[in-house]
Amino acid sequence: MLFGRTKKNPVNLYEKPVVEWRTATCGYCSTGCSIDIGLDENGMPVSCRGNAEADVNRGKLCLKGIFEYEVFRSPGRGERVMEREHIRAPWQQSNWDSALDRLYSEIRRIQKKYGPDSFAIISTGQMLNEEFYTLGKLTRGLIGTNNYDGNTTLCMASAVSGYKRSFGSDGPPGCYEDFEHTDYLIAWGSNMPEQHPVMYWRLKEAHEKRGFPIVAVDPRVTILAQGASLHLPVNPGTDVPLMNAMMHVIFAEGLEDREYIEKNCTGLEELKAEVAKWTPDRASQITGIHPDTIVTVARAFARAKAAMQVWTMGINQSTHGSDGVVGINNLALITGNVGKPGGTPLSITGQCNAMGTREWGSTSGLPNFRALENAEHRKEVAEFWGIDEEFLPRKRGLTQTDIYKAMEAGEIKGLWLVATNPLTSLPDTSRVRRAMEQLEFCCVQDCYFDAESVQYAHLYLPGATWAEKHGVMTNTERRVNLVKPVIDPPGEAKPDLWVFNRLAERFNAEREKQGKKPLTFPESASEVFDEMKQLSRGRLSDSTGMDHELIDKHHGIQWPYVEEKRKRGEPPRQGGVRLYTRPASFMHPDGKAKLIPLPWEDNNEHPDEEYPFWLNTGRLVEHWHGRTKTGKIANNNKFSPIPFIEINPDAARDLGIRHGEYVRLVSRRGDAIAMAMPTGRVPYNMVFMPFHFHNATNRLTLGLLDPHSRQPAYKQQACRIEKIDNQEEAARLCMEMRTF
Amino acid sequence: MFNRRDNEPEYALLTGKATKERTQWGAPIDTVPEDSPLREEPFIVNGDEPGHNLRNPNRYKQHGFYFNADNCIGCHACETACAEKNGTPAHLNFRSVGIVECGTYPAYRRLNISMACNHCEDPVCLKGCPTRAYTKYAEYGAVLQDPDICFGCGYCTWVCPYNAPQLDPVAGHVSKCNMCVDRLEVGLKPACVAACLGNALDFGVIEEIPDNRVQAELSIPGFPDPSITHPNIRFQQMKTLEREVKRVDSLPVQYHLDEQQGRYVPEVDESKRPPVEWNLKKLLKSHEMAHVAFTLSVQAVMGAFVLLTLSRWFGIAPLADVSASGMFAPLLWVMVALAAFGLFKLNMHLGRPHRFYRGFYNLRLSPVSREIAGVSVFFGSLAAHAFFALFDNAFARGMSELFAATALAGLAYGGYYMYRLYRIPARPYWDHWHTAASFLGTGLSLGSMLLGIASLIGGAATPGLLASLASLAFLGLLLESAGLLVQWREQEKASSEAAVSWLFMTTTYGHTFRLRLGLLGVATALAGIITITTPLMNGGLSFGAPLFVLLALLAVAQSLLGRALFFAVVVPTTMPGAYFWKNPGFVEHAREVGLADMPQLGVAYEKHHKFDVQELLKTIRETTWQEKWDQFKRIFTG
Repeated sequence: MLFGRTKKNPVNLYEKPVVEWRTATCGYCSTGCSIDIGLDENGMPVSCRGNAEADVNRGKLCLKGIFEYEVFRSPGRGERVMEREHIRAPWQQSNWDSALDRLYSEIRRIQKKYGPDSFAIISTGQMLNEEFYTLGKLTRGLIGTNNYDGNTTLCMASAVSGYKRSFGSDGPPGCYEDFEHTDYLIAWGSNMPEQHPVMYWRLKEAHEKRGFPIVAVDPRVTILAQGASLHLPVNPGTDVPLMNAMMHVIFAEGLEDREYIEKNCTGLEELKAEVAKWTPDRASQITGIHPDTIVTVARAFARAKAAMQVWTMGINQSTHGSDGVVGINNLALITGNVGKPGGTPLSITGQCNAMGTREWGSTSGLPNFRALENAEHRKEVAEFWGIDEEFLPRKRGLTQTDIYKAMEAGEIKGLWLVATNPLTSLPDTSRVRRAMEQLEFCCVQDCYFDAESVQYAHLYLPGATWAEKHGVMTNTERRVNLVKPVIDPPGEAKPDLWVFNRLAERFNAEREKQGKKPLTFPESASEVFDEMKQLSRGRLSDSTGMDHELIDKHHGIQWPYVEEKRKRGEPPRQGGVRLYTRPASFMHPDGKAKLIPLPWEDNNEHPDEEYPFWLNTGRLVEHWHGRTKTGKIANNNKFSPIPFIEINPDAARDLGIRHGEYVRLVSRRGDAIAMAMPTGRVPYNMVFMPFHFHNATNRLTLGLLDPHSRQPAYKQQACRIEKIDNQEEAARLCMEMRTF
Repeated sequence: MFNRRDNEPEYALLTGKATKERTQWGAPIDTVPEDSPLREEPFIVNGDEPGHNLRNPNRYKQHGFYFNADNCIGCHACETACAEKNGTPAHLNFRSVGIVECGTYPAYRRLNISMACNHCEDPVCLKGCPTRAYTKYAEYGAVLQDPDICFGCGYCTWVCPYNAPQLDPVAGHVSKCNMCVDRLEVGLKPACVAACLGNALDFGVIEEIPDNRVQAELSIPGFPDPSITHPNIRFQQMKTLEREVKRVDSLPVQYHLDEQQGRYVPEVDESKRPPVEWNLKKLLKSHEMAHVAFTLSVQAVMGAFVLLTLSRWFGIAPLADVSASGMFAPLLWVMVALAAFGLFKLNMHLGRPHRFYRGFYNLRLSPVSREIAGVSVFFGSLAAHAFFALFDNAFARGMSELFAATALAGLAYGGYYMYRLYRIPARPYWDHWHTAASFLGTGLSLGSMLLGIASLIGGAATPGLLASLASLAFLGLLLESAGLLVQWREQEKASSEAAVSWLFMTTTYGHTFRLRLGLLGVATALAGIITITTPLMNGGLSFGAPLFVLLALLAVAQSLLGRALFFAVVVPTTMPGAYFWKNPGFVEHAREVGLADMPQLGVAYEKHHKFDVQELLKTIRETTWQEKWDQFKRIFTG
């Protein structure tokens, strides 16, 4: 030692008592990081580290992943099956048999009395592909309600819809490797450092090597925006005019890739006619972006050898969400930036397995991007499952957002929520409460008993979570990753696959009574995978070459990976698998992508005299969705433990609001209490409020729906801010409103 | 040995680059010379000594963090990886990300600053720690702290400008960043660095600029003055910032670009000016009240003792009369009791009060050890002095005076270091001569009040004595006032956190401070009046005595408020906090309203820790006499 003491003491550092590492895929966001979970000698998870071999995260994890081992035994986990007569009655402990009998008979009772679609099922982006497939098969093949959707309507529906409109199918064409090849990147309403930190790291690594320009389009000075080469602080909800003006410039200056358009696109003339109206000057008036800036960005984007666009909720969660995605696709198509290294649109997914529910959930259609509207698709699936083709509806049913409106209208009387918590996540909480109060029966299947929606349940089924289960998830870059159980679920909690299979037995028994053959419901996840992958054969997301073992070996495989390749001995590539790489390989019948004109009309609720602030909402890096997980993990939660708003310091000063004071936010929907944190990140007429806190942000949100995707616009509405004189009372109220 | 995987990613590996000889501060990068025997002493981490072949080739070079502030995205991965690696409780982190920001939308920029321990060239924590819990190892130049030695006084948290040592209010001890020396031993960068998602944080031999980086700056805005400790951290910060950079936590500190110094200096952030309030309850219920009780009582006793002893020795009338009176011996015991009360309060505020004996361990370096040693000698001698004063014989008188002399020596030494220990560069409000003025003034004013009240009770008071004591009190109060006013004038607009202390003094505690000023003024005037008028009132005490009692009350009250404010308003040169985490305003709020009851909030309550007699006995039993003797020797050898 240098100094301090003459006696050199041994150094004792804390060591995690890990005796075994097991690998899983992270259950938080859609980046799809591979995690080593460390178990102690009692088999309890005590540590997490990034798996060093997985191509996605290459050893890195974000703060949520680092402490993910704490979710297994976190407070609020549901350990018992619970039942009650009505939503104000005390809960009684039940058992799986009688609970599933009740769920079965309630579904049938309600369907009999009010019609087959009067019972709705809302699932999630949190489960595993095998579970999505099984729930889809159960719902479409046995239960027969068309009002079945996933909560992906709240996050990715606009991307799905936009992809379908432009390319003929859902499916993000790009991959993370594109960061390493791109020459120009536009991030539309996507704050990767906060939303997808490990994906951001991949971008950063690539950027440090090659230093391409990054343009951030965001009304708020996010971390990405301040670090970008150029920040376009666009007015809320005006991305489409900006895109139109960029295309205006590209066509006006002849910067489009004519050869690519010729070979790959239809609708050029209609698009040109529309964007001709969108001069940069006109768009500037609407977007607040300097016309010269629009010209600069358009030129640089079009001239770049490979240009990439990423986007997240800034585009999807708006009244023009689907149009925004189409606009991004238009920009990519007219410059030939689809399916080439570094040149791609790439929607960044939210939930860990939002992609899985899109592929396999059968919510908006049938497995593997099949459409209910397509007779051939119905036939294929009906035959594969062994059901009557006529049993499948000919048109998609209601989305999650419209299911809630149908509950208000008395058209839906029963609801089964699977691993989703609409009371926290849907806009306009008071309407959600009112809708749920009107249900005759509601079953909540969730790994948390303290999820807010359980307040309105008659039946609670305790689900297993994350690496208590077995199966695969698909990430943003279409990589199918494996999750293996490392610990048993607590108490009576069961994997969702087990629950679906047990319920399916009841419906199958009914089928057998009618003299029909029961449907197959394999017990193990790998068997389910082997069944479902047959439905992918020859389709865009062909995964016939995969099985659990191979996925595990390669730390995830990007689709498509076809059986023929495997048979030829061609191993799956480590990364860099793209879609639409060959000419005219799009999924519209003619193989071409559609260029779609996007006329635009502003239909948002703008700030006015009574409600002078934009209310913008979004995510924090330390929290996951409704905080049922991260709200209980101190090393995540402590970075923002209570609801707060970012407010411009000048606005705070003018309202007499001090740093760290509680304020009341009032919108035309309701009010909420939050702590005011002044920052120049937001303009004078905007507040930003993280959506994670239940009984807070969504008490205020309006949630106008996108006409194509029915996804709510969470980020554009008006509110006012009121100073609270009695801060003590506000603190008490704010504290009482949530236990985590 | 740390379990290194076969496939550790490259970013996690130490590069081994070591091209420089000296740091920018001029210190050699080799922590010890090539031929130093220290290189051969085993470095034992977690019980097993890595084999020689595994030894990191740069083990005896000073290592440090490298922080590219432009790249930090504030994702908390470093903090969390650190918490996971070190198993720290949620209410503390060895590494934290603070935030400063500047500009107006959209010309706005946020700077996230990730900071842990800087393993300084001049580790003030090590020098300050009274228990010798800190060591700066030749290995990597790592400054490591051993919680098993620490007795939880928190002095290292006062002196460190970067908030690196973490005083755990629950466990009652300090712990801090250990550089992940277990990872370094196997060639891996620390856990926080390996976890970084912005490519902001790096680590290696100090002064080595990582690939792709160009700067090796010593500071960035929001980082405290590096000249205090010569921290082993280097920065890159290339992106343009505004002249004014603000913190996002509750502290009304902002950083202003000083062109002449070429760096950002702290100043008051007027936008966070607190309202003018009393906050008496907050003031008098604070955790620092133990220090208030200790300093005031011990300084009063010290003042009284000096007056008693010197007047007796040099026959200074009328003060010498007190020593001659019948109340001399009882007065000494009152003083012993008062000092004991102060020492008790001080000891019981420790996180590990039963480890009190470790307070001397760092006599070679720590002003706290020296204070404790000096005050202990003073206290022991005072007690012996008082004991022998009970007997009336030549031997006892001799012994009594001998102990009076040792008490004076202890008093001088301990008293000086009691003041010195507050001259902390990281606490600019204290780091001023007014601290000495205040302590001396207290000694004079409260010491003379103690003697006066005792003589009034004991019937030994005369108008002359009271007037003399009042004149001493007058001097003391005047000294305190002068110190206070000069400090106020000098610091109010200073480019340091001291200006923020004065903001708190005049706002958060504004009414209380005004009351204190009033009390101080009135007491000073009254002391003057008594000095002048009491001898004129022929013989009787009926005039002087009530005034003197009033003066004593005023003096005690102003001292109490003044000293409580001394501890309450000090603003350290800390790293900025974030919105909630390491935000002093939020921590206080969470404790006040009960949010801190939620374990996942990451805020723990302050609490008192019990005197664990069992642990003390166990230590006594299990420490051999040889070890005890060695331990004693190391008080002097280090």
